[in-house]
Amino acid sequence: MIATEKDLKTHTMMLDGEAVSFTEGETIYEVAQRVKTDIPTLCYDQRLEAFGGCRLCVVEVEGQRLPVASCTTKATPGMVVRTSTATLEKHRKTLLEMVASENREIDVDPLRGYAAQELATLVDRYDARGGRFRGKRSGATREDDDNPFILRDYDLCISCYRCVRVCAEQEGDHAISVMNRGFETQITVEFEGLLKDSACTFCGQCVQTCPTGALADKKALRFAELPGAIEKTRTICAYCGVGCSVDVLTKGDTMVGIQPAMDGPANHGALCVKGQFAYDFVQHPDRLKTPLVRGDDGKLHEADWDTALDRAAEGLRRVVDQHGRHAVYAVASGRAPSEAAYAVQKLMRAGWGTNHIDNCSRA
Amino acid sequence: MTSPTDQELIERWRHEPAPLLPLLHAFHDRDGYLSDEALRAVARGLKIPLAELFGDVTFYHHFERDPSRTNAPRVCTGPVCRYQGGPEILAALEKDGATPMPCAGRCDDPVPVLRGGHALAGTAADSLRAHLSPLPPPNPGSHEECVFSAIREPGRARLDGYRRTGGYEALTKAVTELQPADLIHLVTENGLAGRGGAGFPTGTKWQAVADAAAHPKTVVCNADEGEPGCFKDRAILCHDPHAVLEGMTLAAYATGATRGFVYLRYEYPEAFRVLQHAIHEAEQAGLLGGSILGTDFAFHVHLRRGAGAYICGEEGSLLNSLEGKHPFPRNRPPFPVTHGYENLPTVVNNVETLAAAVQLIRRGGKWYRNLGMNGHAGTKVISLSGDIRRPGNYEVPIGLPLKTLLYEWAGGPFEGREIQAVTMAGLSGGFLAADDLEVTLDEPGIRAKGSFLGAGGIMVFDSTRDMIAVAHEAMSFFAHESCGKCFPCRIGTQRLTERLAGEAGPTELSAWIDEVSDLGETMKAVSACGLGLAAPLITESLLKYFPERVAQHVQA
Repeated sequence: MIATEKDLKTHTMMLDGEAVSFTEGETIYEVAQRVKTDIPTLCYDQRLEAFGGCRLCVVEVEGQRLPVASCTTKATPGMVVRTSTATLEKHRKTLLEMVASENREIDVDPLRGYAAQELATLVDRYDARGGRFRGKRSGATREDDDNPFILRDYDLCISCYRCVRVCAEQEGDHAISVMNRGFETQITVEFEGLLKDSACTFCGQCVQTCPTGALADKKALRFAELPGAIEKTRTICAYCGVGCSVDVLTKGDTMVGIQPAMDGPANHGALCVKGQFAYDFVQHPDRLKTPLVRGDDGKLHEADWDTALDRAAEGLRRVVDQHGRHAVYAVASGRAPSEAAYAVQKLMRAGWGTNHIDNCSRA
Repeated sequence: MTSPTDQELIERWRHEPAPLLPLLHAFHDRDGYLSDEALRAVARGLKIPLAELFGDVTFYHHFERDPSRTNAPRVCTGPVCRYQGGPEILAALEKDGATPMPCAGRCDDPVPVLRGGHALAGTAADSLRAHLSPLPPPNPGSHEECVFSAIREPGRARLDGYRRTGGYEALTKAVTELQPADLIHLVTENGLAGRGGAGFPTGTKWQAVADAAAHPKTVVCNADEGEPGCFKDRAILCHDPHAVLEGMTLAAYATGATRGFVYLRYEYPEAFRVLQHAIHEAEQAGLLGGSILGTDFAFHVHLRRGAGAYICGEEGSLLNSLEGKHPFPRNRPPFPVTHGYENLPTVVNNVETLAAAVQLIRRGGKWYRNLGMNGHAGTKVISLSGDIRRPGNYEVPIGLPLKTLLYEWAGGPFEGREIQAVTMAGLSGGFLAADDLEVTLDEPGIRAKGSFLGAGGIMVFDSTRDMIAVAHEAMSFFAHESCGKCFPCRIGTQRLTERLAGEAGPTELSAWIDEVSDLGETMKAVSACGLGLAAPLITESLLKYFPERVAQHVQA
């Protein structure tokens, strides 16, 4: 949509004593983010509609009796906002102590997911490990769900609903929902079933937005005990033509996982089940690393590319000679770049004289 | 009679406004519970994702999902009923699968038991019977009443009886003599404020909806009276239903609304039947519907029932519930006056507010304003219950001393006992005790004591009651009803309940007080809605008035 003059109208507000400008429609939290004022939060994900659940992002607004959630409150002209007073910091510490008291553990393996360290980081920042407010724990882990991808470790759930919201708002699956209420709240799917029996497509976005590791990447966790620091390498998912940005996680020479790039221009943190979880082929012992050509003994033998290409050309030529130019057909891989796909159709059309050409991305 | 098929039920409701709750109730009434198949059919019929529908159904505690528990009784064990036979009835009905339910709004006529869509009441299992809930007792003061001024007239619940006693005079006057702006002016100038608890000026609300550009506009009557110890709306709905409908129609005329909903709490099945009949009568008489009083003013009212969720009395939750969404409170702003039902301008008014508006408009602003005492405008219905000789709904002039109500109007405590504490705003205002009972019943007076009048429920606890147990019961209610959206309420109500139960928390007094105070302070400051903001008043007032009892409890 083209911005109109109204959209671009800017105003000024006071943020911690500094005059800052903002555009109509921006929330206090968004303004603060933009000017690098760090306001803590656990239920916020910039891709999702602001929710206002964790209350950590509350700020004081002059003229308001109570603090307001900065994520859901729009900036208004002349507003005077304080993001970090002693009172606010005390409420934040109390909130974090409350949240820490409902979980089995705070410290989790970073392989669990992109955002998994958010709670531990904030608990440390606010020195909230004192063990106050002890009592019953919330959420119940689903050990019965033996799907190969997503660990449902709800003992660590803090009911921020980021998984519910990302599933509905980003992925459009509406597979995850919330049952019961209050302290008995439980993240679930239809009829408390298994993920595989639900509308879940295993895209993994719930895993990557979870701020406590309650939803976790089971495949990455296979490498939890592997020594070494996790390195992230930005690349593009090799599966289809969308071009989702991903970070490949490695420990030494071992690929241990994939995380979507939250700032990926094509995907904004989204992936599909293949891009997220289907990477075992990279390190699989059965993976082909050279061409194979069938010998007279009927078995496949390693060969160089020239040999393999000659063999392929001979085969195609034989078919065309015997059955005509429309007896051959090519399907370009969706994982190949556009240039390669172009070359394949050129080969079929100009080389063999047939328009029997397709691409698997069309399916 | 054969029971309707899934498809027939869906066809009956899918084109109606706000169809989800009535459709779920239709399946629930047919089958006695909500089966997986029923939920699949509803999800398909209304195009709601199945996971969401499943989650929403689990939110309401009166929707049964277990086929072995169809028609199992629900027994009130609220703050009053737990001392009036509730637990004993529950034990006696255990063989039928009875389970406890929070306060069902019949504290003046305990103990309510819900069974198969009917409300019974009695103080023992063998004396339970269905009977209409009590009328307000005759007003003992010499003060004139407003909303109860004609409620005791015979036949008032029927259209002819209502009209005989001044009913629909206000609407006739409004539609034939007044412009919408005159109506709003009248209400604004004479100090009518919301009687559901928040006390927001009614005229300001109506004006905002009238000024809002979007259409269609909606009037919602909030009849989800879930606050423990509050049963005033029940009396009005059961005995003066046309007053509520007339009030809604006046609000519609003032604001330009064309559709209305009554959102009625599940626990009032008799009110449901009374309202259903009243709407039918009003439509037949041309007082509701397409051409009101022969003019081109159109307003249609739809009756909807909740399914057991206190939070649905919060207007954002109520609107989400009506829309078939998960009943979490909404973030404010925007407010319902611009973004209400279906994100369109909406008036949400309490039952008592609407009934009072009718009298104000019928009898004039000056009359209404002068009903109050000490410069306060109007009246407030107080639901008084608990350890008091004459419980019931009393309409008091705003500003009446609390002790006048307790001792002169309601007869004081029982022989040989003393009033130890009273609650305010049902449970939401916490306790008042000792010298703070010297207070007048008006918002500024009660707020000065750290509490608030709210919806006007006052429960009395005499010297035989253990205030730790009373406070624990109160906090368990808030924990049970916390929606789970915001952290401070979801975790805080649980932790406070555990500490009042002695199940968790420090055993050293100052550490216990620190934890309870810190939890309360954060809840009071940053919770997302009134439930979490108010719940810690229970522990705060307990610590204020009963520090020795707290010390005994912690050190035991």
